Amino acid sequence: MAHPANLSACEDEPIHIPGSIQPHGALLVVDSATGTVLQAAVGDAALRQHWKRVEGAPVARLLAEGTSRPIDDLLALAPDDGSAHLALLNFDGARFQLVGHRRDDCLVLELERADEDEPVSLDAVYPHVRRFLETVQHAHAIDDLLQAAVEEIYGLTRLDRVLVYRFDADWNGEVIAERTNDRLPSYLGLHFPASDIPAQARDLYTRNRLRLIADANYTPAVITPPHNPRTGRPVDLTAAVLRSVSPVHLEYMRNMGTMASFSISLLREERLWGLISCHHRDPARVPYHVRTACDFIGQILSMQLAAKDAQARMEHRHALRAVQSRLLARMAGADHFVKGLLDGDQDLLSLANASGAAIVTGSEIEAIGEHPGIDAIHSIVHWLSRQRREDLFVTDRLAKVLPGAEHFKDTASGVLAISISQLHDRYVLWFRPEITRTITWGGEPGKLQAANPDSGRLHPRKSFAAWNEIVRLRSKPWDQVEIDATAELRTAIVDIVLRKAEETAALSERLTSINKELEAFSYSVSHDLRAPFRHIVGYAQLLKKHEGERLTERGDRYIATIVESAIAAGQLVDDLLSFSQMGRATLHEVAVDMKGLVESVRASLQVEGGREITWRIGALPVVRGDPMMLRLALQNLMDNAIKFTRDRPDPVISIAARREPGEIVFTVADNGIGFDMAYVGKLFGVFQRLHRPEEFQGTGIGLANVRRIIERHRGRTWAEGKLGEGAQFHFSLPIDNED
Amino acid sequence: MAELKPILLVEDSPKDVELTLAALEQCQLANSVVVVRDGAEALDYLYARGDYANRAAGEPAVVLLDLKLPKVDGLEVLEIVKRDALLRHTPVVMLTSSREERDLVRSYSLGVNAFVVKPVEFEQFFEAIRDLGMFWAVLNEPPPRGYNGGGTT
Repeated sequence: MAHPANLSACEDEPIHIPGSIQPHGALLVVDSATGTVLQAAVGDAALRQHWKRVEGAPVARLLAEGTSRPIDDLLALAPDDGSAHLALLNFDGARFQLVGHRRDDCLVLELERADEDEPVSLDAVYPHVRRFLETVQHAHAIDDLLQAAVEEIYGLTRLDRVLVYRFDADWNGEVIAERTNDRLPSYLGLHFPASDIPAQARDLYTRNRLRLIADANYTPAVITPPHNPRTGRPVDLTAAVLRSVSPVHLEYMRNMGTMASFSISLLREERLWGLISCHHRDPARVPYHVRTACDFIGQILSMQLAAKDAQARMEHRHALRAVQSRLLARMAGADHFVKGLLDGDQDLLSLANASGAAIVTGSEIEAIGEHPGIDAIHSIVHWLSRQRREDLFVTDRLAKVLPGAEHFKDTASGVLAISISQLHDRYVLWFRPEITRTITWGGEPGKLQAANPDSGRLHPRKSFAAWNEIVRLRSKPWDQVEIDATAELRTAIVDIVLRKAEETAALSERLTSINKELEAFSYSVSHDLRAPFRHIVGYAQLLKKHEGERLTERGDRYIATIVESAIAAGQLVDDLLSFSQMGRATLHEVAVDMKGLVESVRASLQVEGGREITWRIGALPVVRGDPMMLRLALQNLMDNAIKFTRDRPDPVISIAARREPGEIVFTVADNGIGFDMAYVGKLFGVFQRLHRPEEFQGTGIGLANVRRIIERHRGRTWAEGKLGEGAQFHFSLPIDNED
Repeated sequence: MAELKPILLVEDSPKDVELTLAALEQCQLANSVVVVRDGAEALDYLYARGDYANRAAGEPAVVLLDLKLPKVDGLEVLEIVKRDALLRHTPVVMLTSSREERDLVRSYSLGVNAFVVKPVEFEQFFEAIRDLGMFWAVLNEPPPRGYNGGGTT
């Protein structure tokens, strides 16, 4: 039968209102106002003999037989929350511990049978508690602490087996410490399924830390009447010490071969994390004060473990913080956070104690260490992005949630992922490999219980023999400290990414404003700087025109020089402006036939003195570009070539294009005066001239313009030359500029 | 032949005024030249108001308009003129030091009749002014009154 491990019937049983008690004592539910007994269950024979009639009797009269102390004073001690020890009662030699608590305007009193030799107060068992406290102070290892606790409780209770049982996240339990004798088998290291202690039982363990079952074969004493006449409900026995337990549990105990059991709840921050569970082969009672002492020991153990745990976490956290700050420093220093993270790859791994990691930004993946491969990472990210978008995702069993993940179990059975963008698929992931574990169950899972073929009722399992389960497709679980560290890293990355975005925005704003200023500046230059030169030329020429006859030859020459200089200065302003416009003007890219363009430029160029130039123009492709700008670039280069072949008897200018990987390279070569390669770096700068002005005319801005135009087309410019042997000027246009 | 209409020169720089006048003089045009020194004054003249309230009626033969002007700049004057149903047929020639593309584009979009970048060289300037003067002041007849169509020549 494929049946879930849960005894779901157990889950539903209202075990806090069993309607009966264990028979080693009595329970009285007393009206707080009148002091009359409303409900009662008397299991102890001696008490039954003493009290002929209990229901409706005044509680003071019932108790007065067992003590000489004023009853009202005793009852005043009963607390609202949890039960407290009120007195030791003695009914003609039959002794009872009186404990009580309040509930629903009633006093719930319990008389628990006390043995002859049992401690009558906590003082008698205090030495055990003190000894444990001393041990605790010297125990450094957790195992030592646990062992000290079970030894002490073994000594105190004299029960056959004492074990510490720890719950995992799914409420399965594991026995992590034990003291036993030869009367009961050892359970150390065994695991027990969550169904052994169902949810409402765990709830009772949380509210009432101590629970004793003195005899698994007991006959319960029934509470009468079943319903409290004041509330109309059965009395809630959550806080009671004599509460009767579920018959299923008693059967479980008998199957286990233990007739008595006693448990102490281990709580941390009011949450149940384990039990100290004691078993005895025969029926046994653990005296009230001994139970209280055991509770102390359990509480001290819990606190010590919590303290040690907190310390270990703090040390772990501290170590990870050091790793984290190194990563942060690198990220802050890097152009991009991904680079910063990858620069410290060991740190990235150790932040989460992972064996592999990956940084995913859109379709790009950078992976380090032992990772499942780019395709697998893609599929993980794809899956993640379809889940509800959480900042952090963590699993130690990826194959359980992502079908197919078993194929890369060796690298990524465990995944911890942080999402670093709300809008895009950007993640940092850490991976852990599968670690095959063997879990030893107390009894084979799946056969934990069987239905009785006669009654159809479920029975708890009978076998507790060790059964090994091999757990696959799981990694070492991720520690909360590691999860926290990655969450903090996420915050840091998000901050850095945001800050970078802000910085970029600020920079672009500043660039825009600088550009505006520059534009305003050049606009004003274009208007205001040209005017004075125009005036100089204008007036000088008017002077020559009107007063020319009276001027000497020298005066004539002076005027000519003034005019020439002012014209040159004006030309310079014009060139500078066109250079600045070249950087700002929008590019209008169309298909440009370079061959046609070269021919058209050649036709427009003037060759001084009507020299004959041999043009060798090769096959030139059609490219994409701004025709006006490309024209200007060619014009500058061809103009230069003409200019610098001036003194050649046989000037040759050749223009060719060749295809290179990713680009087309154009070359304008001449056999002119050339240049010294030592100055090649200066060639394309603004106002850089390699010749004296009287040798060759020009403002020194032509090649700067060429470079700017080609750069606007995403190309490159360079030159080669040799003094006296000509020059070659190259420019490239990227291949996507080919039309 | 009716009395020649004057040429309106709008120019803030006294040196440019003098040089322009010298150029116009060399063209030996018969038209008189009215010189105003900013955009506001130009508009006063065109609308015969303010200091020009009592001027002889009629629009100028051509307006030679500098682009950069105090108070109301050349582009604003151009815009007002070209939006005015009565003035829009008066030819406007923009004279400017600027080689800025945006000025050129803006001027043409406002309906300028010609756009002249003042060359540094005086001879070129002289030729430009002379050509403009000859074309607009003497050769070009404005459309008859009441004609509100687009381009005319």
